[in-house]
Amino acid sequence: MDQRDYTIFIPEFIAAGSALAIIGLELFFPKIRRDIPAYLTALAALAWGIAGAFYIGKDPNNFQGLVQSDNYTTFFRLLAASIVFVTALMSASYMRERTKTAAEYYGLLLLAGCGLVYMAAARELITAYISLELLSFCLYILVGFLKRDSLSSEASLKYILLGAFSSAMLLYGISIIYGVTNSTGYDQIAVQLAQRSGDTDGAVIVGFVLILAGVGFKVSAAPFHMWAPDAYEGAPLPITGFLSTLSKAAGFALFVRLFTAAFQVDAPEWRWAVAFLAAATMVIGNLIAIQQSSLKRLVAYSSIGQVGYMLVVIAAIGYGDQELGRNASSALLLHIGGYVVSTLALFAALTAYYNRTGKDTIVGLRGLAETQPLLAMVITVSLFSFAGLPFFAGFATKLIMFQSATTDGLLWLVGLAVVNSFISLYYYLMVIRQMYLFEPEGGLTRFRPSPLLGALAGVLMLGVVFIGVYPTALYKAADRATETLYQQAPTGAVQAP
Amino acid sequence: MVPLENYLALSAIVFSLGVYGVLARRNAVLILMSVELMLNAVSMNFIAFAAYLDPTRVTGAIFAVFVITVAAAEVGLALAIVIRLYRNRQTSNVDEAATLKW
Repeated sequence: MDQRDYTIFIPEFIAAGSALAIIGLELFFPKIRRDIPAYLTALAALAWGIAGAFYIGKDPNNFQGLVQSDNYTTFFRLLAASIVFVTALMSASYMRERTKTAAEYYGLLLLAGCGLVYMAAARELITAYISLELLSFCLYILVGFLKRDSLSSEASLKYILLGAFSSAMLLYGISIIYGVTNSTGYDQIAVQLAQRSGDTDGAVIVGFVLILAGVGFKVSAAPFHMWAPDAYEGAPLPITGFLSTLSKAAGFALFVRLFTAAFQVDAPEWRWAVAFLAAATMVIGNLIAIQQSSLKRLVAYSSIGQVGYMLVVIAAIGYGDQELGRNASSALLLHIGGYVVSTLALFAALTAYYNRTGKDTIVGLRGLAETQPLLAMVITVSLFSFAGLPFFAGFATKLIMFQSATTDGLLWLVGLAVVNSFISLYYYLMVIRQMYLFEPEGGLTRFRPSPLLGALAGVLMLGVVFIGVYPTALYKAADRATETLYQQAPTGAVQAP
Repeated sequence: MVPLENYLALSAIVFSLGVYGVLARRNAVLILMSVELMLNAVSMNFIAFAAYLDPTRVTGAIFAVFVITVAAAEVGLALAIVIRLYRNRQTSNVDEAATLKW
């Protein structure tokens, strides 16, 4: 049956269309104020999010079995729209001072968001790969956007070389899985994997490991994390926040859909590798974070640690049954939501501070509680949320996530994750200590942050507290999002191309 | 007809050469060429599988077309970034571009 439903693409048509319009705008009106594209992008993201909100609760619908629109896609669509919205507003004054033309920058933000949505929506490997590359290409350019800044170019070069290397590995893994199953659709892969005879075991394991390595690179799981700190440090500050929210969310959107829909049947072949990745990632991320002096690198390593916690869920999908897998995936979506809000709050505050002082080291934050109490409070709240202290988002989401991921085979991993949370508290407290216990340096007196960034940081901080006190609202949304994960595609799905 | 194993062995060898190149070369352009080698191995795999598994369906061949296209875009982008780095630093050697560490 030929099912071509173009209506499921409408929100991304809006996003991609406005991306092109914004890039074109500067072409025709080169004299416009340089922060106008930022506000236009925020508007476009808002329109994108509103269009996406109409899809909440609609029946799953797909385009020839390639792209599926369901609550899962909608969840990530709204997440992408909000990340782009906040990042665009954050970038406005930052980019105005550093580049002559920034319209491409804002266009790429929107396109990267579309990449995330289709990574979540893909039910077929070619589609998933193209969306992954769409996202990665946008990020390569965004990281290197400060052309005169040699750190930015260096970060971008490292990112693209390792990114290209990792997509080659991912593709080789995909080609092997394609060879074993003669299909690239997730559902047919699952059917074929269930039916295969034992003599292809070796090939399947190699395929899984390569795919894991490829996606692991994208989410910066250890031992494939080496690009992350460099890319984070060299990138423009708002892009560092964008990287640590959007690219992580995208990686896990793909991870969860792919591993539940296609690879769940063969869980014994890959789950040990995921458990190992999770353990290595959280230990390495948290231990190396302790000795950082640059804030951006600290956030990079702490986000690597967070990826380790999130990977516990993927391992749980492998070790548990469908019931547990679904609960764990809902909890993962909840945790990603909380993590995104905390990270964006942190970066809104850091950008406001950086615009004023140009400091981005931990020591540079000295005395912030005196010079700007609001920003200090926002930074404290989001760091506490990362560490998982009660009343902040990180506590509730992490608790629910570890609880639902606990199975017999994984007790050790969950225990390790809890120990790591304690370690992470140490280096977050070191940052907070600088802000509250030291005098401001260089005669810095009390200042006011720009109203926009201050308001943004304040609202996001309230969001962190809200999720921490009342996680049920977001959890319900996440739970409805994962409803369709384990269902086969509707019979209308044709065999991929 | 050449057996499938031969194609797979060839592509595995080419892929390994590519991996070796990425790890051993220090010039950004040569690393890119090694990545291209890996991607060509992937295309070879796809086309061999497509021809041997089910000649009536062309999924593998289409995937190979996509791989080639995306690889071309990737190289274009990467070379632009290499040139940018060269303007800033007068080097395209990845060991010398090591201001960012730990």
